[in-house]
Amino acid sequence: MKIPTRRRKQEQELQQEIRAHLDMATHDRIERGESAADAKHSARREFGNVALVEHVTRDQWGWIWLHELGQDLRYGLRIVRRNPGFTAIAVLTLVLGIGANTAIFSLVNGVLLQPLPFPAPDRLVGATIYFPKGAFAILRDRSRTMDIIANTDSTEFNLTGKDLPVRLTGTSVSAKWFSTVGTQAARGRVFQEGEDQPGNENVVILSHSLWERRFSSDPNIIGRSIILDNVNRQVVGVMPASFRWPSPKTELWVPLDLDPRKIGDYWGSSYMPIIARLKPGATVEQARAEIKQLRLQVLASYAWRMPDDTWQKVSIAPLHELLVGDVRERLLLLLGAVGLLLLIACANVANLLLARATTRQKEIALRSALGAGRWRIARQLMTESVLISLLGGALGFGAAIYGLQILKSMLPADMPRLAEVTVDSRVLLFTALLSIATGIIFGLAPVGGTSRLNLTKALKTGDRGGISGTHRLSSLLVAGEVGLSVVLVIAAGLLVKSLWNLSNANPGFRAEKILTARVTPNQSFCAEAGRCQMFYRDLVERVRAVPGVTDVATVNGLPLTGAWDTIPSDIEARPVAPGAHVPMLMERVCTPEYLRIMGISLLQGRGLAEADGAPSAQRVVLISKSTAERFWPGKSPIGEHIKPRWLDTWWTIVGVVGDVREYNMTQNMAEWLDGEFYTMYGAHALNGSGPEAAPAEMTLVIRTTEEQSQVGSELQAIVSSLNGDVPVSQVETLSGWVREAVAGTRSTASLFVIFAALAVILGAIGIYGVISYSVAQRTREIGIRMALGARRSEVLMLIVGRGAKLALAGVFAGLIGALLLTRLMTSLLYGIGSTDPFTYVSVGVLLIFVAVSASYIPARRAMQVDPMVALRYE
Amino acid sequence: MTNRYQNRIELLQGTLDLLVLQTLRWGPSHGYGISQAIKANSNDILQVDTGSLYPALHRLERQKMIAADWKLSENKQRVRVYRLTTAGKKHLLAERSRWSQLSDAIAGVLDPAKRESEA
Repeated sequence: MKIPTRRRKQEQELQQEIRAHLDMATHDRIERGESAADAKHSARREFGNVALVEHVTRDQWGWIWLHELGQDLRYGLRIVRRNPGFTAIAVLTLVLGIGANTAIFSLVNGVLLQPLPFPAPDRLVGATIYFPKGAFAILRDRSRTMDIIANTDSTEFNLTGKDLPVRLTGTSVSAKWFSTVGTQAARGRVFQEGEDQPGNENVVILSHSLWERRFSSDPNIIGRSIILDNVNRQVVGVMPASFRWPSPKTELWVPLDLDPRKIGDYWGSSYMPIIARLKPGATVEQARAEIKQLRLQVLASYAWRMPDDTWQKVSIAPLHELLVGDVRERLLLLLGAVGLLLLIACANVANLLLARATTRQKEIALRSALGAGRWRIARQLMTESVLISLLGGALGFGAAIYGLQILKSMLPADMPRLAEVTVDSRVLLFTALLSIATGIIFGLAPVGGTSRLNLTKALKTGDRGGISGTHRLSSLLVAGEVGLSVVLVIAAGLLVKSLWNLSNANPGFRAEKILTARVTPNQSFCAEAGRCQMFYRDLVERVRAVPGVTDVATVNGLPLTGAWDTIPSDIEARPVAPGAHVPMLMERVCTPEYLRIMGISLLQGRGLAEADGAPSAQRVVLISKSTAERFWPGKSPIGEHIKPRWLDTWWTIVGVVGDVREYNMTQNMAEWLDGEFYTMYGAHALNGSGPEAAPAEMTLVIRTTEEQSQVGSELQAIVSSLNGDVPVSQVETLSGWVREAVAGTRSTASLFVIFAALAVILGAIGIYGVISYSVAQRTREIGIRMALGARRSEVLMLIVGRGAKLALAGVFAGLIGALLLTRLMTSLLYGIGSTDPFTYVSVGVLLIFVAVSASYIPARRAMQVDPMVALRYE
Repeated sequence: MTNRYQNRIELLQGTLDLLVLQTLRWGPSHGYGISQAIKANSNDILQVDTGSLYPALHRLERQKMIAADWKLSENKQRVRVYRLTTAGKKHLLAERSRWSQLSDAIAGVLDPAKRESEA
């Protein structure tokens, strides 16, 4: 507090010094014979502009800008406090704009910008294509540029013990996975070298949440054994709560089972993402070149001849990039949308300030006459606007912390790194900078307006008509606002239509009134196929008997859930040359009822029958329509033969069924798959675990009488009565799976709808404000018009017409903007082009309607102007 | 009037400091007194603009060349009186010799003959 007081004293002394100067000069002149009045006048004239002299003298004191900033701030605060209504509207508008931007930026920051939470994260890279275990071992041993590790996407386990059995999602990792990534256990240790070799792998590391939930945070857990899939594994570590990798669902980690003797598992199935840390001095480019070479060595060491083009496109990319992948585009699009929203908010506040600046003209002219330079006045106005925007920013930051929670719950849970997203210091910095930039941007408008101010005119006439440029500027701002709203509403409209198209696309099956649940005996239980089949058969009979159930089937995986088995296949009619591409077919193992319950249509031949599952029966398959068209174009495939590459006996195609959206709602099949076939669950069912085993991971598909069925709650009891070690998991309606399949589009569309709605509201407020203001300004003119005989309806049209004209200009600009900008989002659209004329026209009409409505209210006020009152108004 | 304005000379940068320090050599004075003294000693040719004088005084004060005290004038008015400090005196001597060097040099350039004869 010392400095301001000293400063004030200095100010007073300067004024006294100058007053003394003037007095002495006057005194001298009087002694020379001038009259007292003349002397005083000439002394003043000789001295010059007192305020200016004070100003330039003060400049010598140092820290002058700080002092003036203090002045500006005090003055600004007074202005802000004296106009609570104006301040509230401006701040609220900014809270919306800045809050939305801060929330979305937190996402962008957490997902795209923050480095991975590991030491030297920029040295972590990954292969762009998955490899099997055998390939991983070769890559790991031979790479000179990378320390290569690998983990399965997910490996599921049955955890049994004294409590009810549960199905847990875990991951199998190579022994040096933890140490290469650079992370430590919270308790115990991570895996050691060699623990992925056969015989050493019966260890497990628990996630913090599993340890807490299932083992009541037992401090003595290390060294204890737990039973996973009927195998005892010793707990060697518990990870910290913050470690949820590779997915937030990961509950436990076990060593990768690298056993070359299990040829099918080692070379055929269990494809994994390959991760690596660059060795010291190595670059991504070197790693990229090396992996191309290593690919050839892997193919040469393969257990069987692979097609020559296998992994041809493999490359190495930064791990962060691989993890974030396609989310980047979606997030940047959202950031763009909130950016537009902020621009609209800026335009709105700029308009408010402009309107106010015209009424403050006299004050500004006065300050200018008293010696305030143009820059000084501009700075004062800027300080005010930055003050308002900082206030909006502070509240917006608070709103964003709250909004982020809502945002996170709206986004698909499988979005990478979503759990890591928090509001950190970088977000705070972003908000602060954004607020200041925002304040400067919308503060520029009134400054631009007032710098054209004609001093004498403003002072003399007290002209309320406004600075001519101000009106044009505010019209421009409002039209721009409408234009930006049009862009946002069109984007939202396109996304909503895409969501509608997706949700109503025919997936090839009927999702209503179907309950699904995974029932998963241990692999060891199903090693004896007959026992496993009997279990499922009994289960189906029990569930069928539950009231409310009309039909039951089992299948090895549901459409849209990412569960499928891929079988490299031979097609009798199309022999494959050695080294050429082998058709990859997707296998659905099911009971005959499956096709009926799902409503998958039979197009040719016959369906599956119970008898097809008998050990003595001839092996038969159904294929999908597109598979038939691909391999037997223009011919009937009935009676043709296919088989898995490693079998000797051909399977006979007996039927063709309709295509199903197996992969996602826009694509029947992943690009790397060439077709699909269905086989009967029975004696012949294929299984990676061994020729005698039956698939141990089947899903119950239950047709119920109601969409919301209570059957799910009884399932575990039924299953436990048959086998106490078998867990029930993923109890979910089929409609729920369909909803989940469009979750990404739904969340993006919902967010856009929210932003678009805010944009329209802000745009409407903007038009309302400008028209109201112009009505207030033109009250006198309207009075004269009416006194001269203008009808009220004409006045109404005059005002509404102005609003409509603004809107029209804005809509036109917005449509052009949308044409250019919506091209960026084509990959998010489905069943609709980014230039869909219907959307464009209806949004244009909607916005004009909103604009006309917004100007109707002030126009009514204008209509009710009493000419006599209006003429006496000034 | 016109004549007087034409004869006014814009002071060189730094010259005002020299004039102020030199004026204060005759004794402490206030701002008005300094401006009047410069004007009188230059036969009304040097008119010190208040917009330059006061910043110069405050700058010199900050540089500790001069010091200021509040005193009562003959008219019993509180005036701010500036006096030369020891540092100011040293600075003035140095500046004066630089100034005479400079004016000799300029004179030499303007009138080479004179310099020859002196040599």
